[in-house]
Amino acid sequence: MASHSKPFEFNATLSHLDEGLDTLHESIKKLRQSTGRGEDDRNLMHFEIALAEIGANVLTHGRPSGTDPPVEYRLWMEDDTAHALFVDGGPAVEEVLLRAMPDPTSEEGRGLPMARWLLDDLLYKRDGEVNRWRLVKRL
Amino acid sequence: MSLEVQTRQIDNGVTVVAPTGRLDVAGAPALKDAIGEAVKSEKPRVVIDLEGVSFVDSTGLGSVISALKQIRSSQGDLRLAAPNQQVRVVLELTTLDRVFPYYATVEEALTGF
Repeated sequence: MASHSKPFEFNATLSHLDEGLDTLHESIKKLRQSTGRGEDDRNLMHFEIALAEIGANVLTHGRPSGTDPPVEYRLWMEDDTAHALFVDGGPAVEEVLLRAMPDPTSEEGRGLPMARWLLDDLLYKRDGEVNRWRLVKRL
Repeated sequence: MSLEVQTRQIDNGVTVVAPTGRLDVAGAPALKDAIGEAVKSEKPRVVIDLEGVSFVDSTGLGSVISALKQIRSSQGDLRLAAPNQQVRVVLELTTLDRVFPYYATVEEALTGF
């Protein structure tokens, strides 16, 4: 008999940095439970690292005045591939995406290069007044 | 989830700084404050015990690099101990494991320090 369980999906709005990061990690925990993956699952670990980097970026720079609209967040599975989407109202960031991994002794600037390296796809689009970030990784 | 940091002095003058929680963009300032206290001594020797750190991001790593620079500018040194798998993955991915050799336990980090 075929199984028709509902595919995993998680939706949230993120307003504050600390609570927003808590939500991101909680969503990964739920995804891990839903897919039966262990704590040491390498691909899911890599996805969580990338998600946290992009999420921190979006929560820090995507709400510059702190009173901007909350960030929309969606996490879902399509077959064996994890997808995440962030939509934020911050300034456009195209040039930041092109930065290479900095020198090992640099104190900053490695978050986006790390995320790009860890994901199968990191897609960014400026859509009118919002930024759309799409993270994709086959688990 | 905020980062909590405990600090203790070992008999040989080494300071062990033990953060608990996520060492990320939200938690990094707490580690910076604790390191700031530890480097007030001359030629500080500091071990960061990472056993309680569940997750590290690039900003958390940046705070550790900042600590290293601060301590070395005071002619001291810094060692990392007991990173979990996620922390080791991030250290290796960023090649920081070449800047910071890490030790499996605090006891190993204290040996010969």
